Amino acid sequence: MAIKLADIRFHYSDRPEHTVLNIPSWSLSSGDQVLVHGPSGGGKSTLLGLLSGLLTPNDGSLTVLGQSLNSLNDRQRDQFRAAHIGYVFQQFNLMPYLNAIDNVLLATRFSVRKNTNTIKEEIKTLFQGLNIPENEWNRPIRHLSIGQQQRIAIARALINKPQILIADEPTSSLDQSNRDAFMQLLMPMVTKNQMTLLFVSHDQSLSNYFTNIQSLNDFNHIQGQE
Amino acid sequence: MLAKLALNSLIDRKGSVMLSLMAMTVSVFVLLGVEHIRHQTKENFSSSVSGVDLIVGARTGSLNLLLYSVFRIGNPTNNIRWDTYKDISNSEKVKWAIPISLGDSHKGYRVLGTTKSYFQHFSYGKKNPLAFSDGQEFDQVFDVVLGSEVAKKLGYTLGDRVALAHGIAKTSFSVHDDRPFTVVGILKATGTPVDQTLHVSLQGIEAIHIDWQHGVKVSKGKLTQSDLEQAELQPKSITAFMLGLNSKIATFQVQRTINKYTPEPVVAILPGVALSELWGMISILENTLLLVSALIFIAACLGVSAMLLASMRERRREIQLLRIIGAPPYILFLLIQLEALLITLLSFFLGAGLLAGSLAVLRDYLVSNYGLHIEINLLSDNSLYLVAALLAASTIVATIPSFSGYRKARTISY
Repeated sequence: MAIKLADIRFHYSDRPEHTVLNIPSWSLSSGDQVLVHGPSGGGKSTLLGLLSGLLTPNDGSLTVLGQSLNSLNDRQRDQFRAAHIGYVFQQFNLMPYLNAIDNVLLATRFSVRKNTNTIKEEIKTLFQGLNIPENEWNRPIRHLSIGQQQRIAIARALINKPQILIADEPTSSLDQSNRDAFMQLLMPMVTKNQMTLLFVSHDQSLSNYFTNIQSLNDFNHIQGQE
Repeated sequence: MLAKLALNSLIDRKGSVMLSLMAMTVSVFVLLGVEHIRHQTKENFSSSVSGVDLIVGARTGSLNLLLYSVFRIGNPTNNIRWDTYKDISNSEKVKWAIPISLGDSHKGYRVLGTTKSYFQHFSYGKKNPLAFSDGQEFDQVFDVVLGSEVAKKLGYTLGDRVALAHGIAKTSFSVHDDRPFTVVGILKATGTPVDQTLHVSLQGIEAIHIDWQHGVKVSKGKLTQSDLEQAELQPKSITAFMLGLNSKIATFQVQRTINKYTPEPVVAILPGVALSELWGMISILENTLLLVSALIFIAACLGVSAMLLASMRERRREIQLLRIIGAPPYILFLLIQLEALLITLLSFFLGAGLLAGSLAVLRDYLVSNYGLHIEINLLSDNSLYLVAALLAASTIVATIPSFSGYRKARTISY
């Protein structure tokens, strides 16, 4: 099992009466590629926050890659996230003032591997695999197009060879052609590295890239609330 | 990597960072300047006279006597009679005596009338005797020995002729131009008021004042050589004199004897004691200046912290990203501290550079107007402590935004 949730309940501490998540049972097997969609404000971000370990559930057990996140302390959860989970967001995936290489390098800074030279080689290979032109490797991110930034975001998410990749609306700020290009780069990478992909989006047109499509409302049982 | 992040993040916000940096640079400039000049002044003053046991002059405050006899600051209140000098310096406890006669000047530099014993016994710094870079002591009545600064600034070399002026103003209407002096010696630089002094014999001082009364030339006629030879060039009075004693232990005893000298009211001072009296007075001012500049620095630190704190809002996404890629919250604390540190270090170097530049420009002005020799080299043990103190202060103040960053990082929820 890549991800296993049991009897998860969560509410934000400033609104204890408002339960955001109530998931009796939900899991993803290793190697699953699943598209989860749900309305905005439906608890998607909260779910991802729990999986990343930035949030902790009020109740229930949360197991990622066989490791119970409940039993880890803050520091351990940070390390676990750095080592095992990659992220791609809709925007602000990268430090705008660092260049592409430094951005990816930064992501390796908090995981265990240290040798900068090997990492730089890996980054170059990754960039080449993602068709990122070499003249853009050393330019500050903010001078690059959004499509290009999203490719570098993939590289950043993959550099630590995570077993799980979480993609949070990564294509929402891209136009049609860039979105297709993004998906056509991402999916083979995921398959090649045998990663578990949790792809969250409200964009129905992405459905043809996935066989496993779920709605958050199907497994998050919130009743009697707005 | 973290340093790179901090640096690039600062460059990215260069508008507000530049302003904070400038404020910080100015404050470092002030603080460093006050500290440096304070230190240098003290060193300067302390090294101006050494080996002199007593300074004797007309009865006046000990500070006043010290200031005009050694530092050529201010004016002597009264002269003392030559007989008094002879009488006291002939005492068996006295090893040597240097008479000094002040009151004339040359292009703003003071003229000191003295005897050859000045070159033998006067010393500065750590008992360094005076040395000639060129020529020798004065021998003739109209010989003059220049301090290094005088020679350099006015471009005099051996054999040049110099007309002295009455009074000490830079432009004088009563120039002793009928009796010019010949440069026979130039002293090596000492970093003391000696460098700004022209030394002539007491007889020379007397010679140029023949026919002068109350500071005004009374006869328009040119004096001939024979007039001079007929005139008795024995000085009748001098401004003050310095004494070296055979035994240091006798210093207080001799001082007491001189202070009780009946034929004329004179006073003897110990240069070291008078100097520390001077420090006592100056230290109040010094400490006030230091306090003010320290406060300015703290204000600049607070400015930097306010800037960093304000930036925290726009950096929410950065913090979130760092957290997502696994940065623990304390990294944010370190990052903000590092940014503050970078600003402080950079402004230290900028401020120090600015100060060194200003000193290089102002150096001549300080020397010629205040007799202050300020080294441009800012590096001393003290300045290292100062850097440490500055970094410590900025770190402490930067704890406020750093902690805010840490808290943001802790509470950020995906």
